[in-house]
This record gives sequence, C-alpha cells and structure tokens, in this order.
Amino acid sequence: MDDLKFRRSMLAEPNNRDDAIKAAIKSDSAKQKFSQELDTLEHKIAQAMHIPVPEDLANKLILRQTFASHQQQKRKTRVRLSMAASVALVMGLTVNFMMFSNTYKNLGDYAIAHVNYEASHFSNNDQPRVTLASLNEKMATFKGSFDSTLGNLIFADYCRFNGSNSLHLVFQGQSSPVNIFILPDDKDIKFVANFANDKLQGRSLNFNHSNIIVVGDKNEPIKQWQERVSDHITWSI
Amino acid sequence: MATKQVRYEALVKALHADLYRYGYWLCHDKHIAEDLVQETFLRAWRALDSLKDEKAAKSWLITILRRENARRFERKRFDMSEYEEATISDVKATSSEQEIENYWLREKIAKMPEEYREPLVLQVIGGFSGEEIAGILSLNKNTVMTRLFRARNQLKEAVDDEPKLRGLHNG
Repeated sequence: MDDLKFRRSMLAEPNNRDDAIKAAIKSDSAKQKFSQELDTLEHKIAQAMHIPVPEDLANKLILRQTFASHQQQKRKTRVRLSMAASVALVMGLTVNFMMFSNTYKNLGDYAIAHVNYEASHFSNNDQPRVTLASLNEKMATFKGSFDSTLGNLIFADYCRFNGSNSLHLVFQGQSSPVNIFILPDDKDIKFVANFANDKLQGRSLNFNHSNIIVVGDKNEPIKQWQERVSDHITWSI
Repeated sequence: MATKQVRYEALVKALHADLYRYGYWLCHDKHIAEDLVQETFLRAWRALDSLKDEKAAKSWLITILRRENARRFERKRFDMSEYEEATISDVKATSSEQEIENYWLREKIAKMPEEYREPLVLQVIGGFSGEEIAGILSLNKNTVMTRLFRARNQLKEAVDDEPKLRGLHNG
C-alpha cells in the first residue's frame, strides 16, 4: 500500500481499519507513528466536538411533547365524543323508526295479520260468553254502545291494533269466527274500505272518530255484518 | 398510546445529546441548537409512527434537524456563514489544560468550511459510516471520503503547527 493511499484512508476513516491497513501499520514504523498521532488527534477531535449538553434538555423535550400531545388528546376526545353522540342519535332515530313506525301499509293488511295471528285462540264452536252489558262497558272507551250483541259473541276485549288501543270482538260465524275491530280513527295508517287475501275478506267503515273493521272468511256475508254493526251502534257524541 | 410515549422518551434519552451537539455544530449557537432539537423532537413525535426501524432513528432525526435548520434560513436570513468568536463560550478562566485545548480545537472546527465540517461531525458524533453520511447529505460516497480526509487533514496540520503559538497565547 502506497503512502498516499494509506494516509487518505486513515484520515477519512480512522476507525475503519481493514486488514490491508493493519498490515501496513505493522510493517512500517513511520505508518505506526502516523497512526498513533491520528489516534491522539481523533481523541482530541471527539472531545472538542462533545460540547456539554444542557442537563435538563431531555426533560424539557419530554415535557414539551407531553403538553403538545395533551392538547392534541383534548381535541381528539372532543371529536370522538361528538362522533359517539352522532352515532347514538342515529341509532336512536333508527330504533325509534323501526319500533314505532307502521309495518303494515293499510288497515286491511293489519287486520288480516291480526286475525291470522290469533286464529288458533278461537273456534267457531266456542260458546257465547260475553253479555251485552260487558260489551257496552268496554265500548264506553270508544264512546259508543250497542243495543244488541249482533250475534253470538264469543270474545270481547281490548287489543293492540297497530299501536293504538282497539276493541276486538269475535262472533260465531257460518263456518269460522267473524272478527270485528273497533279502533280510534288513526291518521297514521291508510284507510281501505275493502280488502281480502286468499282466505279472508274484510270491510272497514269510518265513523266520526272510530273505524269499525269486519273480517271473516270468504263465505261470510261481511257486508251484512257491517250493516248490522252500523244499525245497532249508537255513538254518545 | 403509552407505548408511543415510551418509545418517544427512549428516543429522547438515547439521542438528544448527539442531536444537540450536531445542531450546535450546524449553527454555533447553544440556544438555536436547543430550539432546533426541540422542533426536531416535536416533529419526530408527530411522525413517530412512520419510524419503523429503530436503528434508523438517529439518521432519521438528523435528517429532520437538517431540514429544520434549513427552514430557519428560509424564515430569516441570518448571516451565519461568518463564524463569530463570541458565540463560543464554554471556556472559563479556571479551565484545565484539556479544556483550553478543546476550546482551541473547537475554534478550528468551527472555522472549517461547512462542507467539511458536517461530514466530520456526523462521523465523530453520529458514528456513521462514509456510506451513511453520503445518504444523509445526499452526496456520493467518494465526495464524502474526500471531504472527511480534507477535514481531518486540516485539523491535523493545525494541531501539528499550533502548540508553540498556543503556548504564546497562554504564557
């Protein structure tokens, strides 16, 4: 290794000595001296460059960061809180909408669904159990009264009808029970005068502030039932 | 969150001294160096998630600090190329022989052209290899090696020549 190359390499990277450099140092006393001088110089440079660092610098850095991230955290918390609130609000509205909105498009659909749901509870052979007096007692809620039970009344009680309170009457029919619903006039659900599915048919009649719906099977003279209802009912207002 | 904090504190403790020294040799001012380090670590905190390899942390921080230093010149045009003697203030009258020598050598380092000084500082304080320095400074490796050679050669010549003169100053 020639002297210039040796010096260049030593001065550029004094701590990076490959085998060739080490060999050169061993073999030549002048190079050995140079290397020792350089070690001393390197030590001096390192010492000179290692200027004292302010003692509290590390703590200052950590402190400043803590403050900065605290501010950031506060902002984030606020954003998160408002997002959570929005989500809760939307959830609330959705649940509200699903629970209390009308699942059925009109009175007829609901009436048929209601009858189907309770069909197993009633049989056409059930004995009439409800007297005119107890029927009218219940009718008082709807501010109306009957002057006859209209037929063989098997059952009369309040029922939930699409979210509003209604009176559900079940009469003996020709082949299957006939259902009559008396319910307050509800603007939320569409009124239909006639409706039917493959087995059942029904008619609705609108009075001042009540609807009366008659549902029975296809053999039943629903129109007659309806006329009988309107003939025998009296509204107190 | 806690782990990020832990990483950050570890980074501060391990590297703030080297970074401060490096900053000092860039600007020759203790206060500016401290500001630079603060800005650097604040930026580092924000971008800490992007630091995947802990081994690269030092060069990453140095790159941030260099950028911060450059930004300082964009904001205000100080004439920092001219080295002012008054800014070197580590030495007290009571200092030992070693400290006087440090002081003297510090002056020499500070007066060195920046293009020589910066690779030398990175090598001595940062402990980077020639290749790593080339990466940080965006230079090719041969240029870096030449500059390191010239930087050290200047210092060596100064040290070899100086003792008599220094004796005069002190005597």
